[in-house]
Amino acid sequence: MFLWRGNIDMTSATSPAKRIDNNNRINREGLRGWLNPLRYGWERVSYWFQRLTGIFLLVYFIGHVYETSSLVSGPDAWAAMLEMTQTIGGHLFLILVIGASTFHTVNGIRLIFTESGQGLGKPGRPDYPYDPTSLNNKQRSGLWIAFILAAVAMLYGANVLFSGGD
Amino acid sequence: MTSDNIKNSKNKKTTKWISNITLLRESQIMKIHYITGVAALFVVAIHILMRLIMPFNMSLEFENVILNYKNVFYALLLESILVLIAIHGFNGLRVILLEIRQTQIWERGVNILVIIAMIGIIAYGTRTIIIANGLSLG
Repeated sequence: MFLWRGNIDMTSATSPAKRIDNNNRINREGLRGWLNPLRYGWERVSYWFQRLTGIFLLVYFIGHVYETSSLVSGPDAWAAMLEMTQTIGGHLFLILVIGASTFHTVNGIRLIFTESGQGLGKPGRPDYPYDPTSLNNKQRSGLWIAFILAAVAMLYGANVLFSGGD
Repeated sequence: MTSDNIKNSKNKKTTKWISNITLLRESQIMKIHYITGVAALFVVAIHILMRLIMPFNMSLEFENVILNYKNVFYALLLESILVLIAIHGFNGLRVILLEIRQTQIWERGVNILVIIAMIGIIAYGTRTIIIANGLSLG
């Protein structure tokens, strides 16, 4: 239940209208609320992972554009840059990139369907314990498919990278 | 009209211009976000497949990579990946940042910063594609 506990100043001399004191919005959780995966179940975990993988992939994308720019400095610069990914740490990082991109893609497709109203079910009478029909098995199975495909892609990537790339 | 009034009037005009900088509705921006995401899926799939048509290590050798860049179609594919992911990624970052905080200054600052970063990364990546496309192997 949403409770407003901020101050509303009704007696301000400068503004006779309602003035909301934004500094006293104690119901605002900010990043802590954003990162809390416990309150809303698996849908919250999906929300959280979609954003974290998105940020991670954006950082990787910027790094990848910078990394490939070493091409223009010749073969030695390219080889030196490539060596960074030829270590165990580099391989693990690339496996994480593969997992993050697979999850982000599959879950993103699920979200596109969800936001266009597909697979949400029909609205029902709100009976106790008030489970929303939108958070149904279709949505949850989409989320599990995203996790499973990400794991499979990571295993395939690990196989290619740790087998020497042959 | 005093000089202070003239300055204030100029400031108001500048502020109004900045507030009108939003050319698209959020619903339209989100459609662009989805379209760029789905399109990026296809072009990135081709980009990865190009690494797997020969042994992975061999495909990353300098000569092979330069040969890829010298192919005009592949260069265009790389450019499209660059543009699509830059738009999708930086808009995603914008959405996350706007979810965390909602004030006018923050929203305008975030909008302007992500546009600058997007243009910067596209320009830098395009530079690499153009130079690598013109590189001679001999």
